[in-house]
Amino acid sequence: MAVETRHRGAVGQSVTKVDGPSLVAGKPVFTLDHDVPGALVGKILPSPHAHAAIVSIDTAEAEAVPGVRAILHHGNVPRVPYTTAGQGWPEPSPYDTVLFDRKVRFVGDRVAAVAAETEEAAEEALRKIRVEYKVLPAVLSPEEALADGAPVIHDEPDAEGIYDAKHNIVAAVDIPVGDVASALAEAHVTAEATCEIPYSQHAAIEPHGVIAYFDEAGRLVLRTSTQVPFHVRRIVARVVGLDPARIRVIKPRIGGGFGSKQEILLEPVAALLALRTGRPVRMAYSREEVFIASRTRHPMRVAVKLGAGKDGVLQAIDMEVLSNTGAYGAHALTVLSNVGSKTLPLYNKAPHLRFRGKAVYTNLPVAGAYRGYGATQGYFALEVAMDRLAEALGMDPIELRKRNHIRVGETSPIFEKIGEGREGTAQVVRSCALADCLRIGAERIGWKENRGRRREDGPWVHGLGMACAMQGSGITGVDMAAATLVMQDDGSFRLLVGATDLGTGSDTILAQIAAQELGVPVDRVLVYSSDTDFTPFDTGAYASSTTYVSGNAVLRAAQSVHRQILDVAAAALGERPEVLELAEGAVASRKTGRRLTLGEIGHRATYVVDQRQIAATASFTCPESPPPFAAFFCEVAVDRETGVVRVERFVVAADCGVAIHPKAAEGQLEGAILQGIGHALCEEMLFAPSGRCVNAGFFDYKLPSSLDTPRIEAILVPSEEPTGPWGAKSISEIGINGPLPAISNAIYDAVGVRLTRAPFTPERVLLALRAAGK
Amino acid sequence: MSGVHARGVRRFHFARDVEEALSLLAAYEGRGALLAGGVDLLRSLRVDIEGLIDITRIGLSYTKEARGGLAIGGTTTLTSILESRAAREYGGGILADLLHRVAVPPLRNMATLGGALVSAHPWADIPTALVALGAEVRWQGEKEGRVPVEELYQGPFRGLFRQAVAIEVLLPPWDGAFAYEKVGRTGYDIALLNACCGVGVEGGRIAWARVAVGARPDRGERLPWAEEALIGQRPSQTLWQEVQDLVAKRIEVGDDRRASGAWRREVAGVLVERALARASGRAGM
Ligand SMILES: Cc1cc2nc3c(=O)[nH]c(=O)nc-3n(C[C@H](O)[C@H](O)[C@H](O)COP(=O)(O)OP(=O)(O)OC[C@H]3O[C@@H](n4cnc5c(N)ncnc54)[C@H](O)[C@@H]3O)c2cc1C
Repeated sequence: MAVETRHRGAVGQSVTKVDGPSLVAGKPVFTLDHDVPGALVGKILPSPHAHAAIVSIDTAEAEAVPGVRAILHHGNVPRVPYTTAGQGWPEPSPYDTVLFDRKVRFVGDRVAAVAAETEEAAEEALRKIRVEYKVLPAVLSPEEALADGAPVIHDEPDAEGIYDAKHNIVAAVDIPVGDVASALAEAHVTAEATCEIPYSQHAAIEPHGVIAYFDEAGRLVLRTSTQVPFHVRRIVARVVGLDPARIRVIKPRIGGGFGSKQEILLEPVAALLALRTGRPVRMAYSREEVFIASRTRHPMRVAVKLGAGKDGVLQAIDMEVLSNTGAYGAHALTVLSNVGSKTLPLYNKAPHLRFRGKAVYTNLPVAGAYRGYGATQGYFALEVAMDRLAEALGMDPIELRKRNHIRVGETSPIFEKIGEGREGTAQVVRSCALADCLRIGAERIGWKENRGRRREDGPWVHGLGMACAMQGSGITGVDMAAATLVMQDDGSFRLLVGATDLGTGSDTILAQIAAQELGVPVDRVLVYSSDTDFTPFDTGAYASSTTYVSGNAVLRAAQSVHRQILDVAAAALGERPEVLELAEGAVASRKTGRRLTLGEIGHRATYVVDQRQIAATASFTCPESPPPFAAFFCEVAVDRETGVVRVERFVVAADCGVAIHPKAAEGQLEGAILQGIGHALCEEMLFAPSGRCVNAGFFDYKLPSSLDTPRIEAILVPSEEPTGPWGAKSISEIGINGPLPAISNAIYDAVGVRLTRAPFTPERVLLALRAAGK
Repeated sequence: MSGVHARGVRRFHFARDVEEALSLLAAYEGRGALLAGGVDLLRSLRVDIEGLIDITRIGLSYTKEARGGLAIGGTTTLTSILESRAAREYGGGILADLLHRVAVPPLRNMATLGGALVSAHPWADIPTALVALGAEVRWQGEKEGRVPVEELYQGPFRGLFRQAVAIEVLLPPWDGAFAYEKVGRTGYDIALLNACCGVGVEGGRIAWARVAVGARPDRGERLPWAEEALIGQRPSQTLWQEVQDLVAKRIEVGDDRRASGAWRREVAGVLVERALARASGRAGM
């Protein structure tokens, strides 16, 4: 036991999550658990039309409803073009949104908002707002959006940053490296795949919610379920016309986000309603509103062409993307860019590359950030094409990956060519255990013994498939995180971070990173995060950034505090700091063996001699974005007679550098795999010809449940990232990139048909079997 | 998906017996509703309801043997049916086969057989099985009656249960066994297609056969021509396959957003074949 306590808190230990006990005890930790007396209820009137001009809005009857305190619509709010995407400055998403417009662009678009004393009064008022619409022809697919003479979705003159509004193209990229066309023509073998992903949902348990209220000084406080508190503050200030210094954003415990809360949705509406009424305002999306009015994954079609020599070494990769951003361009350019930037460097042996694509507007719900952020869509096509290439070469798919994947000391021109909506940053891979991941994962699933066997069990045929992926750790040249670490008079610590724990466990991990440097158990580090009044800046929880970017900031602050502690101890002991060592809650001299506990040091610095606050603020920008790597293996069973696919087993071996908290890292992988299985087998938002989503809820939009969960084996394969805090890289997104291609490839191994349109429903699978004459 | 329209609901009653439930229902003149598990009512789009009359305390929660078959009270939850000893043996274990595939345990703890009978969604599993099993329902309103579920579903049954309580579902004895098949998108999904089949054998030949297919997307119905093709034949894999082909040829199916008619046509045959094969196995053929 003594040994265990000595190591408790060290990096690499699965310590109790700092928020675990309060969650288990059901403490009121979430946004809307907070009761603000006298709060009004805010509600939004959604558009019933996919595309329409608002001819008139008459709110007289609605205002007369008892209890109604304010109604907002395009006629009475400032018109400030902005983007709802919560990204760093300068924002790469177009300013194509205003709070309330004269035009609606999808079923569910904001028409008006009401604040009232009760939910009933707010709903009655919504029903009594008379809106006259002039219905416009709607664009319900990316192909229609690009067709000649298509209705123009963004014809407003004040929008900024749209690539080609007249043709509904929000963003376009075309990045050639070398000469792909000739390389493909000359390649010994070629293979291609065109894969499609539909509209899908993040399905975080907690819907979006916000409370806007005023503090004693009359400043506006937004307590909100967000991944990006600092962007909320900046964007809300601009949109509602308030001095940012008069806004405080607090992020309490979040019930999941997966990217859907990297978006500024309810906050400016609640802020404006609060400002108009002088009253606190609570707003929350219903599950139906989350489906239609928050954000989705970008539906995409990705076409990949590969050319390779006889030895399987890739000569050319051509990737072409058509992305549907829906009615507004939140994350349109950056998700599009990521399709290439997070996939192509994985196979850096290919000298000829081309990445091109368009993101287009449609009159459908708005896509945004979603775990994987384009890489998921890219890997689906890339890894199915790789499976085909292996077949054409008569080579084992694992061998093909081994001959092509990037290794330590290597680079890819893509790192420099594609960044976050602009040029990226050249970088060299400093840690990569993908070769180990491939070997360990293959052994675990029994690749050699079981692949290509087509084991039958009645109508069920079993098959094995695999895929590889990488991601990044933060956004180079954009992300910045800061941390303030304060030593208290009792020798314990306060860690203030802008980093946003949205359920991922980052509060715990950041405490571990500090505790490791300071030689104390985790419970000696009190973490307070994401409050724009009290914590330093952080770009937010997205782009797999927190452990790496925020973690590095914490480590630097801890190193500085470590030095300060040694200085104080040195003065007290009359020794040089170089001979002192901080460990196990005390500073000891290697020379004399004399010791001072942290409590004694804190007390001395606070009260006794040379009084000062031992504290440091440090920040970290992201000069490079070290990729985590993973190899995915799965076994599926396909019912040849009904088309039903069951995932029997899933093995993922991932390299996230040093796992700060192994259980949390495995949890991220397991969750991402299951979310990916949902993409592969059952998740799809469906639309009526009017553009209305017809399955906006869990009754008819299916997530895999515990009944559908196969054995998921998450294996952490260690490497050491020299630029990471204690050797760590990211782990939160990469897991979702594997299931789509691995399952598709496994279905092919089982029954010989390629599924390229997700999800692989019984109907699509059976149709593919019949089309192949099977 | 508008959820609960609690707005209109003014009163909630716990009825003590059937008579009280009926008189309360009558007093609301159409603006009252019987409430059992409530899982369906909560999703319903009815906005006109002012009074909810809870009938779970009127003594209709039981599963018992009755003349070789089963009698199940109208407010018996799906979980308690699953747990009852009497139900376990019935029809070769058909009720466990069926109910384990209905929704998820927390929902089964609330949902009742009466509620399932009355809500009778076209995609639901329980109506398909009730029709295949030849279930009858005993009801009480201004009058009392007893009617085969199959016949009930051919008429305006929703109107009846706005003024009457489904007292009991009676499942007749069968000398043979049934089996249930379902395809959903996940393990807890509603059916894209379902089938319930049963067979009994005498002297080496099929004496009776029941074949019903539901979520076509219409509500489960029997396929009499498929049953006729089975009766008098010797049970065999070949026979099940012949019926599979017949079903695929003749069944009436349609498209909805969950699946196409073409998929349903082919898979209906498969599910019938599988249910027949399993049922005959259970019957010890
Ligand atoms: C999420 C979900 C998943 C489902 N999945 C499945 C599935 O996989 N397979 C399947 O077969 N079904 C499924 N169902 C349907 C479910 O079986 C029925 O909704 C449920 O059994 C209804 O029972 P209840 O007691 O909750 O009914 P309630 O909601 O209480 O009542 C439903 C209706 O019946 C009336 N009613 C209830 N009891 C009586 C009675 N004794 N006499 C007269 N009228 C009565 C009520 O007035 C109301 O109109 C699902 C339902 C939901 C919500």
